[in-house]
Amino acid sequence: MTQTVAVTIAVNGQSITRTAGAHLTLLRWLRDAADITDPKYGCGEGVCGACTVLVDGEPTASCLVLAAQVDGAAVTTAAGLTRADGSLNPLQQEFHAHHAAQCGFCTPGMLMAATAMLADGRTRTRAQIREDLHGNLCRCTGYGPIVDAVEAAQERARDSSAAHHGPAGNGSARNGSARDGDAR
Amino acid sequence: MFIRPFRFERAERLADACELLRQHGEDAKIIAGGQSLMPMINLGLVQPDVVIDISRAVGERDLTSADGYLRAGALVTHARLAADPLVRQAQPLLSTAASRIGNARVRSRGTLGGSLAHSDPAAELPVVMMALGASYELTDGRGTREVRAEDFHVTFLTTALEPDEVVLSVRLPVLGPGWGWSFLEVSRRHGDFAIASVAALVRLAGGVVVESRVAAGGVSGRAVRLADVETGLTGAAPDQIGERVGELQGIQPLSDAAASDTYRAHLARVLVTRALTEASQRSAVAA
Repeated sequence: MTQTVAVTIAVNGQSITRTAGAHLTLLRWLRDAADITDPKYGCGEGVCGACTVLVDGEPTASCLVLAAQVDGAAVTTAAGLTRADGSLNPLQQEFHAHHAAQCGFCTPGMLMAATAMLADGRTRTRAQIREDLHGNLCRCTGYGPIVDAVEAAQERARDSSAAHHGPAGNGSARNGSARDGDAR
Repeated sequence: MFIRPFRFERAERLADACELLRQHGEDAKIIAGGQSLMPMINLGLVQPDVVIDISRAVGERDLTSADGYLRAGALVTHARLAADPLVRQAQPLLSTAASRIGNARVRSRGTLGGSLAHSDPAAELPVVMMALGASYELTDGRGTREVRAEDFHVTFLTTALEPDEVVLSVRLPVLGPGWGWSFLEVSRRHGDFAIASVAALVRLAGGVVVESRVAAGGVSGRAVRLADVETGLTGAAPDQIGERVGELQGIQPLSDAAASDTYRAHLARVLVTRALTEASQRSAVAA
């Protein structure tokens, strides 16, 4: 008989408890038990990055961790980047502006990998952005527009932190922090 | 993705994991970061009945340095090995190799003990451990024993761990004065397992090599220390390293989708030369 376990995870600021198979990966728990479908299943090997989420702020392949292992953790998915009023955060806006998605399958993972990357506040060259995104595969865009978007988001985060006490640029571009703070 | 159900057990301490291993026998698997076990489970290559989680176990997350040795707990992640100031200063060969593992996701969850216990011949850390002559502290929950990396890594995914043992910690020498180091690897795509990798350490004195250590990964069932190369290098000036490194002895490269056996052997020899040269340049700067 399949062992079930109750797991509680704060997903995008909202505490969710589901009792499900103890063998479920975090990805399957999110998608099948909690109905949170933005992280995607790509390879199951940690290579493609489509399932990337933040677990307590760390970039994580949600297909390579069991939900039961991260009971009590805070998880951020791409949907959690969106602001409380439903508008896109600066990184999402730049993905939109640069047409950095075609089929969109890799996009949730790309956004989370980019979010994790930008969180350290380091300014990266285009080559370094490519280097740090190498663990996320895209079969449509050729990566150019994605790198453009991340570069633009990095620039905005820098401008807004440089103009920290000046006129507010574009809301809360806080160096790509996982969320814009509020708990929904 | 639709994996066969298994029982989930959490060990509060590593010693408890050993007891659970005894209880559940061969069909139990330890999971820490999961970056080696979960791909195998997702692909159906492993179908455990019980998975024992040690990712939240108390202890073995420390990095300490004393008496010329660095001690690292088995649950230290690759990301920490790569970024920790103590490791970067005490043994840059280890921090550099850790920074080359997989991608940011793999490094943020994957653990030192997990990578060693998995013992993939192309993985970064065993190569470094072989070059450094590291030793591992193992426990069965009742006592501990120390095993040299040389004796621990047996062959493909096979180690000297007893069925009820886990890796507790790793002990390796800190970089001595005057030593230079290098870690090089080649893979088809960034983040793939290496076709070949090399860890090298060189100490120059009076402009020639007086001591060296070199190991290669990806070219045998396990990482191999290249003792013949080390012996042949003594007395060589840095620009003579290329001519001193002959055909590599004691390697048994395989052919697979990424590379043929002859290409692997050739690549390993090229990387050995380059790594030793780079290490000797760093030694010259350090001296």
